[in-house]
Amino acid sequence: VSTNLPTVFLVDDDQAFLASAARLLRASSLLVSSFRSAAEFLAQRPPEAPGCVIADLRMPGMTGLELQEALAKSDNPLPIVFLSGHGDIPTSVKAMRQGAEDFLTKRAPKEELFAAVQRALERDARNREKRKRQRELHARFDQLTPREREVLTHVLTGQLNKQIAADLGIAERSVKRHRTSLMAKLQVQSVAQLAPLAVEAGFTGQ
Amino acid sequence: VSLITIIWSVCAGICLALAGVNVLVWLRARDQWANLFFSLGAAGAAATAVIELALMHAQTAAESGLWLRWLVTSVTVIVIALIWFVRAYLGAGNLWLAWLTCGLRALVSVINFLPGRPNIVFREMNPPRQIMAWGESVSVPDGIGTSWTLLVTGSSVVFLVYLAGAVIAAWRQGNRRRAAWLGGAISLGFLLGMTQTRLVAAGALPIPFTFSMLFLPIVLFVGIELSSDLVRTFVLSRDLRESQERMQLATSAADLGVWDWDIAQSKIWATDTIRRRLGVGPAEPVDFDRFLQSVHPDDRELVERAVHGAIDGDREFQAEYRVITPDGATRWIAARGRVARSPSGKPLHLRGISMDISERKRAEAEAGELRRELAQVQRASTLGLLASSLAHEINQPLGAILRNAEAAELFLQRDPPDLEELRAIIVDIRQDNQRAGAVIDRLRSLLRRRELNLEAVSLEELLDQVVLLIRPELQARQARLDVRLPPSLAPVMGDRVHLQQVLLNLLVNGLGATSGLPSKRRRLVLTARCVDDRTVEVAVGDSGCGIPEEQLARVFEPFFTSSTSGLGVGLAICRTIIESHGGRIWAENNANGGATLRFTLKIAEHGGAP
Repeated sequence: VSTNLPTVFLVDDDQAFLASAARLLRASSLLVSSFRSAAEFLAQRPPEAPGCVIADLRMPGMTGLELQEALAKSDNPLPIVFLSGHGDIPTSVKAMRQGAEDFLTKRAPKEELFAAVQRALERDARNREKRKRQRELHARFDQLTPREREVLTHVLTGQLNKQIAADLGIAERSVKRHRTSLMAKLQVQSVAQLAPLAVEAGFTGQ
Repeated sequence: VSLITIIWSVCAGICLALAGVNVLVWLRARDQWANLFFSLGAAGAAATAVIELALMHAQTAAESGLWLRWLVTSVTVIVIALIWFVRAYLGAGNLWLAWLTCGLRALVSVINFLPGRPNIVFREMNPPRQIMAWGESVSVPDGIGTSWTLLVTGSSVVFLVYLAGAVIAAWRQGNRRRAAWLGGAISLGFLLGMTQTRLVAAGALPIPFTFSMLFLPIVLFVGIELSSDLVRTFVLSRDLRESQERMQLATSAADLGVWDWDIAQSKIWATDTIRRRLGVGPAEPVDFDRFLQSVHPDDRELVERAVHGAIDGDREFQAEYRVITPDGATRWIAARGRVARSPSGKPLHLRGISMDISERKRAEAEAGELRRELAQVQRASTLGLLASSLAHEINQPLGAILRNAEAAELFLQRDPPDLEELRAIIVDIRQDNQRAGAVIDRLRSLLRRRELNLEAVSLEELLDQVVLLIRPELQARQARLDVRLPPSLAPVMGDRVHLQQVLLNLLVNGLGATSGLPSKRRRLVLTARCVDDRTVEVAVGDSGCGIPEEQLARVFEPFFTSSTSGLGVGLAICRTIIESHGGRIWAENNANGGATLRFTLKIAEHGGAP
């Protein structure tokens, strides 16, 4: 399985359903990888692979909901589409609340299934993009020295250089130098750009 | 007519009458030997009276000698009769002494009849002496005495010794009144008789022989004794008749039949209730075959088996069977009886009672119908509890079929269509269709309302099917089920569906008990084992919190429930089903937490029939 192309990971303890669903998804030109249990999937999946998970809610051993929790905690939290032989309401509510992409019965028409898979794959792509940007921003902020972080915190509250120098007990010139350096490291031209970037990166000063 | 003639004749008459009565008694009851010997003795006494009368009127020495000879003979008859009467009447007496007395008496008789002498008492007779006795002149034998009279006395002494032994033995056995009176009367008569013989023979006492008078008290006493036996018999027979009437009343009020089968004579005595049921008249003889004819053909073998079990196997006879009455109606009868045996163990009688239990059977059938309805409702509600997991079970193959069909559509749109793939799809669709069908079949067989149909059921198969039904629910509830079976289990007698229901109920009950626990600790254990060669025990254990001790006995009561869901009839129905299988169901708490519900089933005998 290529790590670059999105893959549909099918997890179901029922061999017949697993095989038929895989067959259908492959026939519509999707990459499919099948697993008989949640544990098997978690152990064997390629760590970085993009895609989505289609899982049965009821499985012996680890259930669908437990799989969802485990996935959410992982570095590669693939979106999950739940399948159930029988739509039981409390479970589906919980699944959706935990961020399930979709919740389908096993006998839902293929159009619904394809649509759900499509949505899940798009969401994975979006999430992946978001995560990539986050990682990049974190990398930029990580370059800052402790003093630059202190200065940035004060800048973000709207203080002037003079006030900052007084607060930190350093020369105003030094404040200016730190500001120029941190703006270069964060790749921004103005203080106006600095604020949204800090919010996006979740910068809090600490 | 002289006074003596009257007295002696009356004496003879009384003795003869008593002899007649007792011989009649003996003829009716041949084992009453006492009556026969008494009769013989009384006849001897009557003869003695007549002979004494003749002796008193003898005119010549020859006449006197002849009558004396017969007198000795009649007294011998009395003695011999008394010997055996004592044995029969008191049930005691030394046999050697009895025969010795008889032998001595026989010797007396031989000497008595030896030619060349008139009798054993006198060597030579003189003409009788005439004396005055009781106001008239009577003859008294006279002659030259012999010492042979000592033999007569000797035989009497041996007899008295014999009598004393018999009386003491009877006294010790508790037969005191009889022993005392009989012993007293006979020994007194004999002592007087012996004294008189010696005195008359020695010529010291010139009076006529009065043996018959001496024996009269004996005869009268015994006569009264035997007559009072007759009175007792009469009273007994009246009491018996009354008690029989009372019994008849009681048995007919209770609709109870009483019967007694004389096995050797192949005759059945039965009360009217039974006779009416069989359609035979009050006097018509009944034997076992005639009885069997009235039994419903399907039940004949069962009845015969029960009878042979009682006669050959020394079991109590017990059977429930149907009879066809003369008007063609079918009645249910319950019969119980016991075999009476001879000391050697030979069966003599089979006696017992029988009762019409048709009403009870009908009530049972109605209750059974109700139970079946309730069981069906409960089964449906059990399945209702399992509905969501069973829907899952059916939706799996249906979902697979749909996916395959949709895939097939896509493959068909390709040019050229992938026939290989399409073939594989069709094979899969067919398999999944069967899988869904099998689930539906399992459900349907559980939902069908049906009678209890006992057959030999393999426990392994039964447990497999139940595990298939409960498995989806176990998954849904994240519980584990361990099935522990011995390597081989004998088939049990049971109704497959009803037993499935029991197991499902127990498992669902166990799931309920563990639902409050973290999923790792939700465990059920299903075990089966042979208790003995006739019983299998099946147990469903759970890892829940157990049942409060005071409720252990109550969990099988209807509407007893600890949960808010459910009617609380599940376990009650389990009990009804298990008990109708002849088994037992009970609850226990496990030593290490949780409860175990156990039930027993009977192992099917070879051939399967119960």
